[in-house]
Amino acid sequence: MATYRRKHFLINKPLQVRYMAYLTVTLLTISVVSLLSLYFGIWGGVLDAFSDKHIRDEMLIASQLTQYDEARTGASQQGLTSLSMFKQSEKLSQRQREVFKEILDKSNRALFLKLLVLFIFIAWGSIYVSHKIAGPLYRFAATLDAMSQGNLSMRVHLRKTDEGQFLADHFNEALAFLDTTISKLKNIVNEQDKNPARLGERLKAELDKIKTSVDK
Amino acid sequence: MWINKLFRKLVFFLTVFFFSSSALWAAPVSVEDRALLTQIQKDTLQYFVHMSDKKTGLTRDSSQPGSPASIAATGFSLAAFAIADSHGWLPDGYAENYVRKTLKALLRQTEHEQGFFFHFIDRQSGKRVWGSEASSIDTALLLAGALLAGRYFPGSDIERMAQQIYNRINWAWMLNGSALVCMGWKPESGFLPYYWDSYNELIILQALAIGASVNPIPPQSWQEWVRWEDEYAGKKIIYSHSGSLFTYQYSQAFIDFRGLNDGGINYFDNSKNATLANLEYSLAFRNQYRGYSENSWGLSASLGPGGYKAYGAKPGEGLQDGTVAPYAAIGSIVFSPEEAIRAIRYFHDNYKDRLYGHFGFKGAFNLDKNWWADQYLGIDQGISFLMLENFLNEGAVWKRFMPLEAVQTWIERTGLAGEIAPVN
Repeated sequence: MATYRRKHFLINKPLQVRYMAYLTVTLLTISVVSLLSLYFGIWGGVLDAFSDKHIRDEMLIASQLTQYDEARTGASQQGLTSLSMFKQSEKLSQRQREVFKEILDKSNRALFLKLLVLFIFIAWGSIYVSHKIAGPLYRFAATLDAMSQGNLSMRVHLRKTDEGQFLADHFNEALAFLDTTISKLKNIVNEQDKNPARLGERLKAELDKIKTSVDK
Repeated sequence: MWINKLFRKLVFFLTVFFFSSSALWAAPVSVEDRALLTQIQKDTLQYFVHMSDKKTGLTRDSSQPGSPASIAATGFSLAAFAIADSHGWLPDGYAENYVRKTLKALLRQTEHEQGFFFHFIDRQSGKRVWGSEASSIDTALLLAGALLAGRYFPGSDIERMAQQIYNRINWAWMLNGSALVCMGWKPESGFLPYYWDSYNELIILQALAIGASVNPIPPQSWQEWVRWEDEYAGKKIIYSHSGSLFTYQYSQAFIDFRGLNDGGINYFDNSKNATLANLEYSLAFRNQYRGYSENSWGLSASLGPGGYKAYGAKPGEGLQDGTVAPYAAIGSIVFSPEEAIRAIRYFHDNYKDRLYGHFGFKGAFNLDKNWWADQYLGIDQGISFLMLENFLNEGAVWKRFMPLEAVQTWIERTGLAGEIAPVN
């Protein structure tokens, strides 16, 4: 079995470039929104949570909460011991883990919401883009249906922004040719009373213009 | 048997009625003092108004920037808002809405373990922060505030929600297989190695745990904790380890002990003695520290020049360094009104500029080190507010808290109302 290798990738350059642009812009938008959200979400949160003021406040709170524990368990007599300092650092590091988790959770939530909105837009946009192909296909199918039922007066009319404009033009030209030829044949048959002797000759002349599979 | 029970209940109610209907304090309060105390109570309320989250109602532990919400401070806040509503100190419906949204947040949003809330939580999310423990005493203080708030809005969803929070708590679980209530539990390490094993603020915890209708602790637990007794300045006192004044006050902000007798001990009288001993203990050091005088006293856990410490008097550890906490005197107002009012007026008239702010008195001060607290603590403001309410309004908190079914059950199960001791 013969394999057919593509020799030309850009058969319809404007069409293909347009779709390449659609896909690239979509992916680029998703990537940019994700990266910027994560970057600014995390970085902004970190900058705020680890500012000098915040760190100072957190250290004071860590110290105060440790002192609460010591007061409750009867250890506050001992003053600032290494155990107390160890407990303060433990509290502070635990708090920092909580803060960082909070920042990540917050950034992820914000990103999820942004992506949700973006996906809704992309889904809506894809309906619009696919409609530019689905619309013409529907028109072609409807016209071919009409033809199969013997109606040659139909034409494919597409919107300005629809894909396949060039195909529709070619299709309409072919259909117009068929319509004209068959109309002529019909006229010849309708006018046979005027000159019945020349009916066969006139039909042959018209049919000779059409090349079919029975012609050698 | 049932006649005996009925008789005991009757005796209890008659006692409560007697104490509630008679004037609480021997000496009348002057108009000026009453005005000052009311103003302090109103200003103290502002701590809860400004330091509670607008959406969840959870209240900050302190006014220090970055402070998390504290579950105990939130309990005091619930009580303060309900009381403020009864006085009409807040716009119509404001307090009721606050209490309702806070209880909703506590029921639906705030992290808990077996019904026990974590000591420190995020104000907005209600999630545990600072690796804090699910705390038994702080949950009890929250619950006391919630149940009290429910009594101010009888028959409402507020009362129902407070009861739901109560019924959700598995008190028996916090025993951890022992006879005493554990101080707390952490997800990382399990139960803390500390138990409520001697006299202090544990009474409110014991009362609510024994009196619970769901998963209570056995009444025998009441007899398990130690009642250390010692004498100071001629006064016999069942004392707490630290000797901090707050340990004699917290439970009694809610529970009226004047008609209750625990095997010969009357805890109201005990707190009165402890308060006077606290004053005497300060005076014993008046030559060393400028902050102590007959008008300036109050040794209780508070901020100080070296951080938060369990300051206190003898009997007990008696840690002191010249630091005085105004809330300690305010919280003693029901026990020793004259001494307390003298101190409050002295603090107010002499140190107003440095010690008094928009939310009432700040944490503490130390004259010798020229140190003045720059923050307010939620629990200090809470005990001040509730004790002022009891003092100024004929035991208004006690009158509402004592008829609670839980309190009655606790009294019945522990036999506290058996014999009524005479009260001075």
